[in-house]
Formats: sequence, structure tokens, C-alpha cells
Amino acid sequence: MSITINTTINGKAVSAGAEASTSLLEFLRDTLEYKGTKLCCNTGECGACTVIYNGKPINSCVTLAADANGAEITTIEGLADGDKLHPVQQAFIDTGAVQCGYCTPGYIMSVKALLDRTKKPTLEEIEEAVSGNICRCTGYAKIVDAIQLAAQKL
Amino acid sequence: MDYFEPKTVSEALSLLAKHGAEAKVIAGGTDVMVDIKYKEEPGCLVNIKKIPGLGAIQENGAGLRIGPLVTIRELETNKLVREKLPVLWEASHQFASLQIRNTATIGGNICRASPSGETLTPLLVLDAKAKIAFTDGEKTEPFASFFQGPGKCSVGLNGLLTEIAVPYPAPGSRGVYLKHAVRGAMDIAMVGVAVLVTPDAAKNSLQDVRIGLGAVAPTPLRASKTEALLRGKPLSAGLLKEAAAMAASESSPISDQRSSAEYRRWIVEALTRRGLEQTWKATTGKEVA
Repeated sequence: MSITINTTINGKAVSAGAEASTSLLEFLRDTLEYKGTKLCCNTGECGACTVIYNGKPINSCVTLAADANGAEITTIEGLADGDKLHPVQQAFIDTGAVQCGYCTPGYIMSVKALLDRTKKPTLEEIEEAVSGNICRCTGYAKIVDAIQLAAQKL
Repeated sequence: MDYFEPKTVSEALSLLAKHGAEAKVIAGGTDVMVDIKYKEEPGCLVNIKKIPGLGAIQENGAGLRIGPLVTIRELETNKLVREKLPVLWEASHQFASLQIRNTATIGGNICRASPSGETLTPLLVLDAKAKIAFTDGEKTEPFASFFQGPGKCSVGLNGLLTEIAVPYPAPGSRGVYLKHAVRGAMDIAMVGVAVLVTPDAAKNSLQDVRIGLGAVAPTPLRASKTEALLRGKPLSAGLLKEAAAMAASESSPISDQRSSAEYRRWIVEALTRRGLEQTWKATTGKEVA
């Protein structure tokens, strides 16, 4: 059964159809072509698919696309201002927090949500905020450095 | 797959009655979406998130009424839950990741009826009750008899959990939830133990003690023999040792990819001991002698 989803992605109103069983991740990547959000475990365990849903970080792979109806969603594509990267994105580059890069969009969305709710996060708050994001290159120390740098810059 | 977004509980109940075993209720989706992707699509999905009135936490006399659509993160960040029901707060705080806590609901965690469900042993030791709606009326059931097996509970195929009533524990009591997992976040518990202790007025003995064991039997359960052994006595080192061993013997764990049954029994013993020690100290100000 196909349903119509009216939602707001990165500030833009979007209306599109999808099968009822579609996940928000599939809707973003396959229907709307927002490929920045990554598909990885598809079970809500790795955080690669993290997007911001009504101000909160969530795993889009285990969220029903139908629940995007009437919601405001921010994806990694919504962060940069033209060619100017968002401070969180720039901090990941400046500290070398990107290795293979596959987990990076998910991390950056978790960090964006953290810094939206907490201006000066403690190390404990930082670790908690990204504990649902897994980096299999295991570059965790540099990721924490990047988050601390981004918090200073913002 | 058919898809419905009922706007009332009675509309949801009619859909469940009409579609029977074909229907699957979805709220947060963190479990159901995985089933859809990796197991099989149900014949129809009944999304209850649009039903108003099921997503609030309200203080009601000496307890909280929690709506089934309340997310784990809402529990974790609720002041009353933190102050009055620390055992439930600890379980919410240790629940999966922030992303999952932002979507997963307490109703989903309950109705999933997984033996390792993080909020279930706290609800058991708090003597919480479920309110369940059926087409022919409502019933209230204590969680003590709510869970029937992995994935099976009193809600069945046709019911809908509409409220979780959690009484505040007696003044002076203290609860803890201890989880054993390999990874701090995101991991499913190998063993979860909830302990709630109320000392007598003189703080010399255990007036009431409740122990909930998770992930070590087909359902979360109360270690009732251990509770009976402890009730009315001061917590001595000898009694603590005996009680921890008894709790382990009350569990009936399985071996799976997370750990062996034997290891789980050791962990039940260790966490029961730790939980009793911590709550005894916190409520009486005394060391276990």
C-alpha cells in the first residue's frame, strides 16, 4: 500500500509517495535522493543513519517513513551554508576525525543535536551523545577532539 | 502491506479485531522495523502514534501514570521519574543509545515482552500495573502476572496497553537497577537485576525487599524465595551470601551468543549481592556486617 508523506527536509517542504513499510532512511536515500545519510546495520545499532527529527537525533533506519509526516527533519545535507561548511563538519576535518568516512555523517548529526541542546558539553556528555554511533576505523579519540573543537567554535 | 493510523483507542481495537494475527502494532518502531526488514512484513501495520492521550507522564496521588507512547528519553529526562522512581530512571538511562531512547517507547518495551527488556524488572519491583483495553472493556493487571513468555504478554493479539500505573515506593526505600553487558551503551543485557529495599523504622532490618531478575528466564521475574528469606531480617554478610546464591538458583537462564547459562547465574549472584549491599547502605547508612 502506497502512502503520501508530507514533510520538511532541511527547511524545504517535500511531498512524495512511498510504500507503507518504507523506513525513513530508505525514503531519504531512495525516494528523495539524499544520499548523505548512510545505510549500515539497518537495525538501529550503529548510528550511521542518524538524522535530526523534530530537534532530536534518531536512527532513520528503524523509523517509519510515515512518521515523517508533519515532522521537521535535518540531514547532513542541511548543515553547510553553500560552500561554507558547518562548524561541526569543519572541526571533523581540522582534527582529522574522518578516516573511511562512512560513520561521519551520523556522528556529525549526533554532535549537531548535542551542541544544539548543550553549548559547553562535558566529556561525559560528549561520550554519551555519540555512544550510539560506531566507528569501525575506531578513531574515537580524534572524534572527541573534533567535538570539543566544534563546541569552542560555536 | 496495509497501513493504518487510528485516531482513537477504540478505532485501533477494531482494526486489531478485524485483522487478527495479520496485524502488528507499531509505535517507536525500533523493534518492529527490524522485524519488517529482516523477518517478515506483517499483513497490516497499525501505527498508534497518532492516538492522543497516550504520551503523558502524570502524577496521580502517590504514583505516576505513564502513557505507553512515552519515549525512554522522556522517562530519562522526567524530574519525577528521576526523584521518585530512581530504579526506573537508571534502567531508562542505560537503555540502548540516545537515538533509540528518542524513539523507543515504554509501551513497546513492555509489549515486546523480551526477558531482557530494560524497563521490565524495575516495573516488577515497583509493583506497577498495566491497563489494557479490549473491545469488550478494560482490565488492569499487575506486571507480576503480565509476562507469559518471550514475546507473549496479557495484551495478546487484540488488546492495547493504554497506561502504566507505577506507585511510589515507601518513604525511606531505595531501588537500583544493575545491568551487565559487554559494552556500556547499545548492548542488550546479559543479566539485569533490579533491587528495591525498604528498611524498618529503626533502620535495623529489611521490612520489604523486592528483587527483579531480567534476561535469565523466559520472562522477567521476581526472586520471591530470596525476598522471603530476607524479609524482616538485618542484612548480615552471611545472609547476603545466602540470598545472592538463592537468587541465582531462582533464575533459569539459557546459553546464547551473549553468554552461557552458567555465567549468567554467576552474574545474577554478583548483581543481587551488589544491589542488596548498595540499597542496604543507602537506606540504613550501615555497612553489611
